[in-house]
Amino acid sequence: MQKLLLEEKPSPRVEEDLARNLAQMKTTLQGTPEIEVSPEQVYQLVNLLLQEDLLFLLAKDMHRLPFEARKDTQVIFSNAFRYKHPGNNAAEPLALHHIISNRPEIIIALCNGYERRESAMPCGGVLREALKHDAIAALILYDEPGAPRDLQAIDPSVPSSGEGVFWKFFEWIDKGAFEVSADAFNTFREILTRHKQIVATYLQTNFDTFFTKYNTVLVQSESYVTKRQSIKLLGEILLDRANYNVMTAYVDSGEHLKIIMKLLLDDRRMINYEGFHVFKVFVANPNKSAAVRRILVNNRARLLRFLPTFLDDRTEDDQFTDEKSFLIRQIELLPSSNPISPAQ
Amino acid sequence: MADNYQVLEELGSGSFGVVYKAIEKSTGEMVAIKHIDLEGGDDDIREIQQEIALLSTCASPFVTQYKTSFVRGVKLWIVMEYLGGGSCLDLLKPGPFTEAQIAIIMRELLLGLDYLHQTGKIHRDIKAANVLLSNKGKVKIADFGVAAQLTNIKSQRMTFVGTPFWMAPEVIQEAGYDFKADIWSLGITAMEMANGEPPNASTHPMKVLFLIPKQPAPRLDANRFSKEFRDFVAQCLIKDPDRRATAEELLRHRFIQRAGKVEALRELIERRQQFDAREEREAYPKYYEETLQDITPTEEKEEWVFDTIKPATIAPTRHTSKRRKLTRIPSNDWDTTPENLMERLDLNDTPLGTMSLAPNMSNIRKVRNTPDRRRSSGANTAIRTPSGATPTARRVPSSATPTARRVPSSQTPTSRRVSGQATKQPLGLDMSFGNGTSTTRLFRRVSAEKENSPIAADQASPSPSRKPSTASSLLHDTTNHAPHALSQPPNSSTPSAHPQDFAGTVTRITKEALLGRRSYAKAIEPALQETYAATATARKREALAAVAHAWSVLDRVDPEGELLLLKAVVERCKGEPKLAVALGLTLPVKNAPVPVLAPSADYSATEQESQTSTPTSSPTKQKLVLAQNNPHLKSHRRRQSAFVGPTGGMGGEERSDGVEEARMPGQGVVPGLEHVSTLADVLYGRWVEGLRGGGAVRSGVLDGASLLVYFALMRGGLARLETSMLALDGEKLS
Repeated sequence: MQKLLLEEKPSPRVEEDLARNLAQMKTTLQGTPEIEVSPEQVYQLVNLLLQEDLLFLLAKDMHRLPFEARKDTQVIFSNAFRYKHPGNNAAEPLALHHIISNRPEIIIALCNGYERRESAMPCGGVLREALKHDAIAALILYDEPGAPRDLQAIDPSVPSSGEGVFWKFFEWIDKGAFEVSADAFNTFREILTRHKQIVATYLQTNFDTFFTKYNTVLVQSESYVTKRQSIKLLGEILLDRANYNVMTAYVDSGEHLKIIMKLLLDDRRMINYEGFHVFKVFVANPNKSAAVRRILVNNRARLLRFLPTFLDDRTEDDQFTDEKSFLIRQIELLPSSNPISPAQ
Repeated sequence: MADNYQVLEELGSGSFGVVYKAIEKSTGEMVAIKHIDLEGGDDDIREIQQEIALLSTCASPFVTQYKTSFVRGVKLWIVMEYLGGGSCLDLLKPGPFTEAQIAIIMRELLLGLDYLHQTGKIHRDIKAANVLLSNKGKVKIADFGVAAQLTNIKSQRMTFVGTPFWMAPEVIQEAGYDFKADIWSLGITAMEMANGEPPNASTHPMKVLFLIPKQPAPRLDANRFSKEFRDFVAQCLIKDPDRRATAEELLRHRFIQRAGKVEALRELIERRQQFDAREEREAYPKYYEETLQDITPTEEKEEWVFDTIKPATIAPTRHTSKRRKLTRIPSNDWDTTPENLMERLDLNDTPLGTMSLAPNMSNIRKVRNTPDRRRSSGANTAIRTPSGATPTARRVPSSATPTARRVPSSQTPTSRRVSGQATKQPLGLDMSFGNGTSTTRLFRRVSAEKENSPIAADQASPSPSRKPSTASSLLHDTTNHAPHALSQPPNSSTPSAHPQDFAGTVTRITKEALLGRRSYAKAIEPALQETYAATATARKREALAAVAHAWSVLDRVDPEGELLLLKAVVERCKGEPKLAVALGLTLPVKNAPVPVLAPSADYSATEQESQTSTPTSSPTKQKLVLAQNNPHLKSHRRRQSAFVGPTGGMGGEERSDGVEEARMPGQGVVPGLEHVSTLADVLYGRWVEGLRGGGAVRSGVLDGASLLVYFALMRGGLARLETSMLALDGEKLS
């Protein structure tokens, strides 16, 4: 089979050979419209990739590969990650099983692919393929600097140091070329929404660290796309049934409400709109915390003045209109604020 | 990142946004930058991201090269290589291509398609319009708006995308399709280049959807084209995708083998330039202009109070609660000095209060805009003041300057802002769409119509409509001058006519504005879509598209004026007996397309009306399978599933409670206690679905044309058409 030349100083010659080898591996794993894959060859190749630790090298040095070779590598990874050896009943495919138990560094290296524009997209694609398995999400979430983690040894009640690879996503999302940050966001979303139980536990333990960072870096980002996407994701996370406890904790915070109410006044309509879908959770909460209740009561008159015309050209959006009138009704039910308030 | 680019003139615009030519400062290279307004719609940003992800994984000399993309304000800038030759559709305007030229283009396209297909991509919208030429004649595939990436080399797509005339039968039948779909489209494109238009071009695009799977595959005319060419097209246009050739195989076809060098295509570019010169299509470049604010200004700024109440923060008057009735109607003696007649609109005045003088209209605007500094800056660029401060092509001669007189709003709800409309010229020279010539013609025609009708309208309309008609006589007067103004060098108008100015325009939310919006959403837009879909010739389509664009701008900028215009048009049609009969307007009350405005300024009335009367789409049995993430489809579904009963408006609280109840998943809600039901009940049943709808977004985007098809379907235009082909279930997709 292929013997991959170890990457050193890339000469055009080496690059060419490497690219050819990778293209061949891709064909072996994926086949072509004309040629069916041979299961035997695939098995051999996957084993070889694992034995020689080629996946780690490829993940680490993705950015150094030539353009087409990077795409081939992505296909190699994805196929290797999908390959299940017949007769093997392990939960994860062969390669992933190997990664989880022996070589978690591969996943971390793939995440770090977001550091560079060249490697961001192929690494992201591979990561999302791997993230179909909850163990991979756990590897990323519970990563800490230093020694690789043994999944069995992780205590989910120990808060994260905030230094692991997961926390780097916040920076990757909020900088760089659009396709890189958007791809990082997609992976981030995948980590946070795919495996609900893991994420719910994680968010509860790391509630403050996570939402502080989420609010400052993402929701209040300078970048329109980051801001808009993260408000939307916030709504998705909160409204996920698995995150019920996270949601109740979130909507108890007056500080969170302040941030979200400011979004309603943003001068970009879609920010208003996405903000509304988080705001409604605060208002709909039947057991509002004192802080939240106070803010809402203090702003009752303002809200009742503001909401009726809020995005009122969304005439086609029946859900929105209904929810808005629902919120208005809820706010009307609040006691009037301090009579001093000159609500004109 | 944006600082690295010096943006030059506009290259073109479409539903996706505007494309500009620019210089990359670091390299001095010419690039094309596509600006996509992300605030434009509810569309998931991920759809756009998908296009970019796909583009960024393409590196081929036969595919337009993606460079980078970044967000600036609310716009996404996509930087691509610049191709000066234009699209093949443009190049076709002087006439069909020769076989030799087509052979070259086909070879290059096949090389591009081979590259895409090898890397697991389907373009899905191959047509002349999506084939670009460089100045040197290099051919490149462009526009990946609907392209798809297959994760697995053998997987198939089920999504219905493309442009009807070029669609392969299996795409229409949704039997699942692969790379071969592009080959079919390529064959149609070859015919398009040979004949000037694709087969069935004169047929309704909807009907074409049925014809393609049913009819034998189209062929080239045996008398006019060589055997090789005909055979090449025949190889592409085999209805069974399994028997259809691949790009690789076609590259070995004799027609392709004997094709010449790409340099020969330069004659196409030259031919087009000569054609342009002959047609006197003087190209006045539209230069990019940075807008002061990339954001739509909101109404008055509200501020929340987060700490204990600070009276100071509440003190300023809230303007939102009290809408100013800015009503300007032309006075009868408008030929006297207009300035003297101009009356200041004071917010604090009672509707019938005394009048005070203002130096000119621009001051009035300023008064209105002062509360928000940002907005006034936006308004200054967007609104052409009649005072002459802004050099606009259609500056209205002072004798026609409308006077602004406050009239009790309840009496003249319809005449609002007519004069503003005339001076703002939303109908006027908007360089942002089409080519100068067509728009000019368009608007001359409009003014001519207006000239003929006022008298009839005056006689026909009773008191409420008297004012609009006098108002439009003013309009008539100003439009009269349009031809002169338009003949001025357009340069003088470009700075202020730039489309991005509209983003900064103040839109006031009034009842009329809402109705205007409504008329657009419910009547104008669908009507335009339908007409567009029913129009075959490219020329006519272009003209229609220009109207559609102009109207959408009007809708964005001045929904009130929009309503007025509609009303004026309807009045005139009613007043003209023949037109009235032809348009079925003989029973004016019943058929008036615009709801009669209630004189009451009560907001909730409108709100209620707009809610209760929201029509659920007529139940058509057949469904067109669309990309699941199509926003229109989503809202359509929501409408169908969400409408349990009549929805109450803001005022109708009891009824809205009923709806809440009906939607609760935890049924056992005690009446009257809905609001105390558990949070989980409220949230999960009602919202989770809607909120997470975006979570499961699938790949696949609809392009404009298929949207048109969708619209046509949804508007019941389908009744005329056969149904069998499209009786497909939307669920198939998921």
